[in-house]
Amino acid sequence: MSAAELVTVKIDERSVQVPKGTGLVETAAAAGVEIPVFCYEPRLGDAIGACRMCLVEVEGMPPKPQAACTLTAQDGMVVKTARTSEMARVGQNATLEFILVNHPLDCPVCDKGGECPLQDLTFRYGPGTTRMTFEKRTFEKPIPISPAISLDRERCILCYRCTRFSESVSEDNQLVAVNRGAQTMIATFEDEPYTGAFTGNVTELCPVGALLPTQPRFEIRPWEFQAVPSVCGLCPVGCNVDVDQREGKVKRILSRNHPEVDEGWLCDKGRFGFSHLYAEDRITEPLRRVRRRGLEEISWEDALEDAERLLREADGRVAVALSGSETTEEAYALAKLVREGLGAHTAMLPEEVGGGLDAFRVPLSAIRDAELIVVLGDDPVVERAPIVDLWLRKARRAGAEIVEIGPAGDVQTSPGTTARACRRLKTGELGSRLRTSERAILIWSGSGAGGGSHLAALAADLGFADKPGCGAFFLPETANGRGVAEAWAAASDAEGPEPEPLGLLIVSGDEAAANPNVRALAERAERVLAITMFHSLAAGWADLVLPGTSYLERDGTYVNLEGRVQRLRRAAIPPAPDELAWIAQLAARFELELSPYPSLVFAELSERIFGGVTYEDLGEEARLPERVPLAAPPTASPDEPVPPKATAGTLQLLRYRPLFSGAAVERVPELQFQRPAPEIELSAKDARRLGVKRGEPVNVRSNGTSVELRATINKRLKGGVARIAEDHARNLHPTVEVSK
Amino acid sequence: MSPQPVDTLKGFGVTFKQIFKKPLTMQYPEYKRPVYPRFRGRHRLWRHQNGLEKCVGCSLCAAACPADCIRVVAAENTPENRVSPGERYARIYEINMSRCIFCGYCELACPFDAITLGNDYELAEYDRDDQIYTKDMLLAEPIKKVPVADAELYDTPIPYYRTYS
Amino acid sequence: MSDVIVLAGADERDLTRLAEYRAIGGYDQLERVRGLASSAVIDELNAANLRGRGGAFFPSGRKMQFIPSKEQITKPHYVCVNADESEPGTFKDREIMNRVPHRLIEGSLIAAHAIDSQHVFIYIRGEYLDPFETLRAALDEVREAELLDGVTIVLHRGAGAYICGEESGLLESLEGKRGQARSRPPFPAVSGLYASPTLINNVETIATIPKLLELGGADYAKIGAPPDSTGTRLFCVSGNVVKGGNYELPMGISMREVIYDLAGGLPDGRELKAVIPGGSSMPILTADQIDVPLDHDALRALDTFLGAAAVIVVDDRACMVQLGLRVAQFYMHESCGKCTPCREGTRWMVQLLEAIEAGDATHSQLDLLLDVCDRILGKCLCPLGDAAAMPVASYVVKFRDEFRAHIDQGGCPFGGESSLAGLFAPVDQHAHHPVVEAAAPA
Repeated sequence: MSAAELVTVKIDERSVQVPKGTGLVETAAAAGVEIPVFCYEPRLGDAIGACRMCLVEVEGMPPKPQAACTLTAQDGMVVKTARTSEMARVGQNATLEFILVNHPLDCPVCDKGGECPLQDLTFRYGPGTTRMTFEKRTFEKPIPISPAISLDRERCILCYRCTRFSESVSEDNQLVAVNRGAQTMIATFEDEPYTGAFTGNVTELCPVGALLPTQPRFEIRPWEFQAVPSVCGLCPVGCNVDVDQREGKVKRILSRNHPEVDEGWLCDKGRFGFSHLYAEDRITEPLRRVRRRGLEEISWEDALEDAERLLREADGRVAVALSGSETTEEAYALAKLVREGLGAHTAMLPEEVGGGLDAFRVPLSAIRDAELIVVLGDDPVVERAPIVDLWLRKARRAGAEIVEIGPAGDVQTSPGTTARACRRLKTGELGSRLRTSERAILIWSGSGAGGGSHLAALAADLGFADKPGCGAFFLPETANGRGVAEAWAAASDAEGPEPEPLGLLIVSGDEAAANPNVRALAERAERVLAITMFHSLAAGWADLVLPGTSYLERDGTYVNLEGRVQRLRRAAIPPAPDELAWIAQLAARFELELSPYPSLVFAELSERIFGGVTYEDLGEEARLPERVPLAAPPTASPDEPVPPKATAGTLQLLRYRPLFSGAAVERVPELQFQRPAPEIELSAKDARRLGVKRGEPVNVRSNGTSVELRATINKRLKGGVARIAEDHARNLHPTVEVSK
Repeated sequence: MSPQPVDTLKGFGVTFKQIFKKPLTMQYPEYKRPVYPRFRGRHRLWRHQNGLEKCVGCSLCAAACPADCIRVVAAENTPENRVSPGERYARIYEINMSRCIFCGYCELACPFDAITLGNDYELAEYDRDDQIYTKDMLLAEPIKKVPVADAELYDTPIPYYRTYS
Repeated sequence: MSDVIVLAGADERDLTRLAEYRAIGGYDQLERVRGLASSAVIDELNAANLRGRGGAFFPSGRKMQFIPSKEQITKPHYVCVNADESEPGTFKDREIMNRVPHRLIEGSLIAAHAIDSQHVFIYIRGEYLDPFETLRAALDEVREAELLDGVTIVLHRGAGAYICGEESGLLESLEGKRGQARSRPPFPAVSGLYASPTLINNVETIATIPKLLELGGADYAKIGAPPDSTGTRLFCVSGNVVKGGNYELPMGISMREVIYDLAGGLPDGRELKAVIPGGSSMPILTADQIDVPLDHDALRALDTFLGAAAVIVVDDRACMVQLGLRVAQFYMHESCGKCTPCREGTRWMVQLLEAIEAGDATHSQLDLLLDVCDRILGKCLCPLGDAAAMPVASYVVKFRDEFRAHIDQGGCPFGGESSLAGLFAPVDQHAHHPVVEAAAPA
């Protein structure tokens, strides 16, 4: 790409030089001049010039005010804004007056008040009084367009940001404008709830209090809360967020907009999922299992005594099951305690990492710039790392070619054969195109990635290491699986045998507590110490339960799927002390020096694995570390076992973990409507064979278990495969029989 | 070196004369000097004539307060529990009187004439915690009242919201 | 009149039939033009100075020249014929489609050749049932006679929106989206239908082309009022006249002649009060201004426009406030709602006019009405806003005494006897509009 040509534009007597083609609003901002806008939002596509707020006078154009958002900088352009042009001033004043003509006087009761662009712009450019003495147009209000979002049609100024988001960013086309003229209103088809992974973004886009989240209703005056910059910890993307906290409680989560990671969007799980902090079954005090009485609360002194006793009794036969939602510091502290303090080196890590993809590092925004993208894997991208799905859609809109290889992809493969498909890409037509392209991205969305090693082997073969525009991602299952694994490895270089018999199993985090493999291991352990947030996960099988904290309540770092280390900040006051605090105290009892402060722990850890970066270096908008030069061609780990193909009459069961699942989402009332419906996805061929129509209930059986589900038809699904969400698949075996 | 001795003697003379003048001491609390009608004293929250509270919990008073002494937590009116006209009401409304500087900005900021500063100034308490006035205390009539000067004597229009509850 | 160009031959024969049309030389020009370069057509149109007949009066030859060649933009080029005739007062396109559909089809095929296009879309107003049937039958004949030569003509019906007669609204609707105006630039010539170069013209403009080519551009330019207002137009005369209807006349003819001689004057011996020269979007003329030639420049000099050449005659039985209200209600109802000034401003205008008509307004509200019109003018996304503000402002300015009388007398001086009294506008069906309860028909 050649360097952009610079043009000189004069704005209100100020001259400024910008690259040719820059929008006029940005050009004015570069010159320090504000051009007010409502409908202009570059992330939503081309400017539409609908609201007429950005009217300016441009010399040489027809003698009427022009919408600055639709214009781009040309050399020699002379632009006058409301500051210096009466025509522009009257135009902007008129626009605000017209908006306010039908806008209800809701400011005292409207949640947007105080952070409302309409209020601010009216103050700066609008009329001070109203001349409207007639009845305003009214609507029934507020209307819940979903349990999480409420719509107030009277306040809507019809800037169309929400409909444009629904149409051309999340591409769900659910939010539309109906009727015409002054009766236009925003609605969903047949008033169905607005469902999808990204619906909450319209509450941030809306410039007035028309679309508001229902969770913090009436509790968010901007002068009453503080915004804490942090990072979301519910999926491996690690979107940057601003957590609005009031009096120590989280009220709302907004996007902080990291242009390389999330571009200002959040998925609904990250945005609305915070109320799991205040679930009813949250554990606030340590619990000890007492025979015949279940779990009883004990004090922290007693708990630490118990924990020390358990650790000593285990005599080195300790194993740790980690969740992947711990901060890197916490994982390191726990690892140091167990490995250096107790000499036990066995851990059940949430996933395999270290596949060697660091040589092919690119930021997520590289997806947008790519021309060819190959997505391999069994799981839909939107369920694993939702924001990546938005990047893919953006790339497709920009003209990129996206090839999906999977059971429901453009190239259909059987479940569990992703590694094979990955190797096949080394040759063939698609492979040769990947080899020659300067901007190609590979994405592995599913299990069996081997920490990304298969992708790394492929990428190395395709020559990606020399091309900065080419990269590869594998989408992990947990938010900080990589950070946790690297922290565990960094805690000690020693090795040790697997403890037999297992004396103590330390279960860290809710995901581990919910993992059936961990439960199975816990059966074999003599004792179990669990660190978890919710009662229902620990009850019944743990001997000592210590209350855990959430990513919103901790200072620390997470490593996201790009390999970017990002800082979390404590936004809410947890009901229990931070893990680092009591791990440090426990460590002291074993003569181990461990700091309770995240920054010091990070400093120690960073020396070993992050090249010595400090918290200050990470800053608020973390940079992606440089690529690690490729030393030797990476070897792929062994393939995961391929599930047996279905015999005649049966179908291969493809499970997937839906986005809206997990301990956190289960405890958020506003997200329950997003949980997957009890459905089974069938291919068109199988549906015809079974004589099943869309929506019909079917019986799904396998070896003793059976469950009733509703059939849906996915035309892209490979024949012989049925897909069911984890929540509903439960105990079904890998092959199932389906009948009406 | 003293300045003009005559001026010094004049000063002493004034002081000497004061010894024989009657002191103008007002014996509080037996005599409480009437305050002017617009005296800014203890806050009051008002209701409409139909019993609904005027306060909608918009928190503008908290925003305007220079001493940051007002705490407002709003909640939604439900059909079963309607406290104020409109969508929301103040579920928690507290003013920390020990921080309040009685400037009257909250009264100016309120769009609904829900909070005004009344005339009572006898607010001493033994405990700092008792200085936090809750919504019930602010809605109720003040317990201790002070005399107020007759408004007719002064060119002071009394706003209607100060004269009825 | 001898100069009948668009409707030439329609009185003598049934030109809806292909055979009849060919008998008078129909489709000969198409054949001739297909052997020439595209620029030949454009040159003729430029020589003739044919201007758009839809209301904007843009030179048609120049419009075709704006279309980039297939080498510059490799996307398919499209021709759109705007048959969504919704301007109040116009009914000329209906007559053209009813009586000379083949002339329209020949013109669109010639236009397609001129811009190297293989696709023609005719967007016809949904309410035009007969013209649709006639046009469809004519297209069937053309297809059977194999005159299309690889060009596809799609006849698409609209669904009742004035804004879909505006060029960008038409393109949006044709693409299957909400019929809302687009921001321009980019103009349809570069990015129109499906973001491809598009030529979009009114029915009358396209239907003029065959006969124009037969006469030759230079000779066509001699008719009418050269140099700007050349050729003939179908003037739609309606309102309080004896013989309303379409009159194909050379431009420059005196308005007085049209009203009194051709259209038979006003019935019942009424006096002329006002004339709208170009469809309801145009500012009004008073009775003393009708000695004006009906051409572009002369009307511009009087601060109005020839527009769609729909001459609406208003006699002294009509209340001007009611006329303004009815016009404003139309624009309020038809506003697409995309841009703020038109969406909110037209509704406010209607409310002000209702108050004036009911006698509840004050004089300052009359000034407010003028200010609202001024605040809409020039600030909207498409010309609909201007089309609402301009005429109403002209009614207030030119008949200010009548508006004042409403205010002073606290009601309409006509006392319910005006010829416009009790008019029910479709917008009154909207439940949110306060007029519904008052003016619902029995």
